[in-house]
Amino acid sequence: MAEDLVLDGAIRDWVLIPLSVVMVLIGVLRYFVSKLMRSSQLPDAKILKEGQVIIRARNLRAAANFIPAKSFRARRAYYSNEENGLLHVPKGQTQNAQAQMFSDPNMAMDMMKKNLSMIIPQTLTFAWVNFFFSGFVAAKIPFPLTQRFRSMLQNGIDLSTVDVSYVSSRSWYFLNLFGLRGLFSLILGEENATDDTARMMQMGGFGFDPTKSLSAEKDSLDIVQHEWALPKFEQRAEAVLKKFVS
Amino acid sequence: MVVAAEEKELKRLETQVENGGGGAWDYLCLVRKLKARCSHNVLKFGLPILKDPNSRSKLGSDEWTLYEQVAIAAMDCQQLEVAKDCLKSLCKKFPESTRVARLECMLLEAKGSWAEAENAYARLLEDNPLDQAIHKRKAAIAKAQGNISSAIECLNKYLEIFMADHDAWRELAEIYVSLQMYKQAAFCYEELILSQPTVPLYHLAYAEVLYTLGGLENLQMAKKYYASTIDLTGGKNTRALFGICLCSVAIGQLTKGRNKDEKEASELPSLAATALMKEYKERAPDKLPLLTSTVKSMKLFS
Repeated sequence: MAEDLVLDGAIRDWVLIPLSVVMVLIGVLRYFVSKLMRSSQLPDAKILKEGQVIIRARNLRAAANFIPAKSFRARRAYYSNEENGLLHVPKGQTQNAQAQMFSDPNMAMDMMKKNLSMIIPQTLTFAWVNFFFSGFVAAKIPFPLTQRFRSMLQNGIDLSTVDVSYVSSRSWYFLNLFGLRGLFSLILGEENATDDTARMMQMGGFGFDPTKSLSAEKDSLDIVQHEWALPKFEQRAEAVLKKFVS
Repeated sequence: MVVAAEEKELKRLETQVENGGGGAWDYLCLVRKLKARCSHNVLKFGLPILKDPNSRSKLGSDEWTLYEQVAIAAMDCQQLEVAKDCLKSLCKKFPESTRVARLECMLLEAKGSWAEAENAYARLLEDNPLDQAIHKRKAAIAKAQGNISSAIECLNKYLEIFMADHDAWRELAEIYVSLQMYKQAAFCYEELILSQPTVPLYHLAYAEVLYTLGGLENLQMAKKYYASTIDLTGGKNTRALFGICLCSVAIGQLTKGRNKDEKEASELPSLAATALMKEYKERAPDKLPLLTSTVKSMKLFS
């Protein structure tokens, strides 16, 4: 084990602190840039309606037993008949919807903006850190750590003799990148924190196809067995009243 | 919908504020959350906060929410000058907001200049044809003018797209009931029961519509829904108790002479009558003789 390294005070003043400050400033800047570029897109009537149809059909399925059989059958026919039922998707339209979604320039533009505001600053700062600060030992944490933390804390220094509690400059950059979310939510307000993970989740939802859930809903509606729950309620009400009266 | 516990809290806060105990902001927040219509109180408690720059700045960005709330309350109370002042401050802060523009249209409505308001809403709809609040306002204008059929048309058009909006269904149901279009109203109440199956008020309203429609089948259904209301409220709903009695009397009259044993099978009506007597004894003893004679005339106790 090497003896203790002495870290120059200038490293603290010129590497550690500037790096942290720059990371914070970039985070704030990114927030404002993405706010500028955010376009409020109007929801499409058809997609909106499909969502509402699904909610309503789901309600019907969940609470079917609360309405009389006649009403239930009328509603099921309204949703899932083969001619013009609300949940019925004509064949051949399924792929079209997807293709249309991908070719919608607004959508692609929006995605790109989001991605750009995320990726560009990150690559730039990473390049900047790599160029100016590579190979520094920038800080020392005041407690010992096991060898497994070496790849996390000493990224960029390939020395196995240095104690793990020393932090390299590039690792400091990563720690800042992922660890500043709490600070951002303080500065910019709860929801405004530039939350990369949430954004990733959003992107995952992009391939969502409403027509698929429409037909899925139709199938499950078709197999619902309607059993009117109300006759049971008469007995239950009797029991309730007996308790109430006595 | 205001639940009993929340209403109690609202009342408690109201008396607290009125007696100078503070907590006006909490009261206003609760009113907003419950969507309660207490415009006089909102105006009375909210306006002093807005007039005092010190307490206003304490709210931070909630200040503007308060401006909106007070403006709407002022319109409701026909204090148009107050509403205008609130809107002026909002306009200065958010010059291009649709929400503020909507408030301005509502001010026109409050003044009673319907045509102007309608034009303004139409202009707003051009920018965003799917604004739910504006569609609802249009239905409200039609209703306020007494043009019920066009209100129904508006609501139907709205529900064609936003068909999961149960508030709109409820409004439509009430309009249909007021026009005595009970079949349509029954459909709307079914829709409401589907979306919130555990709300007893919808069961009750559906039962009442069915009872009004009449006919043996409908009466039997009505009785079942009255029963479910009783089950859901724990027997505390007087209307439902009366409903059970009336339904069984009506059914008894319709099936007179026919299968008697089916009628005797249930002791629900007599139980309901007993429960009613108990309720009246506790809460309105002076009306008890009236009830007793009514129940006797129904011949529920065999």
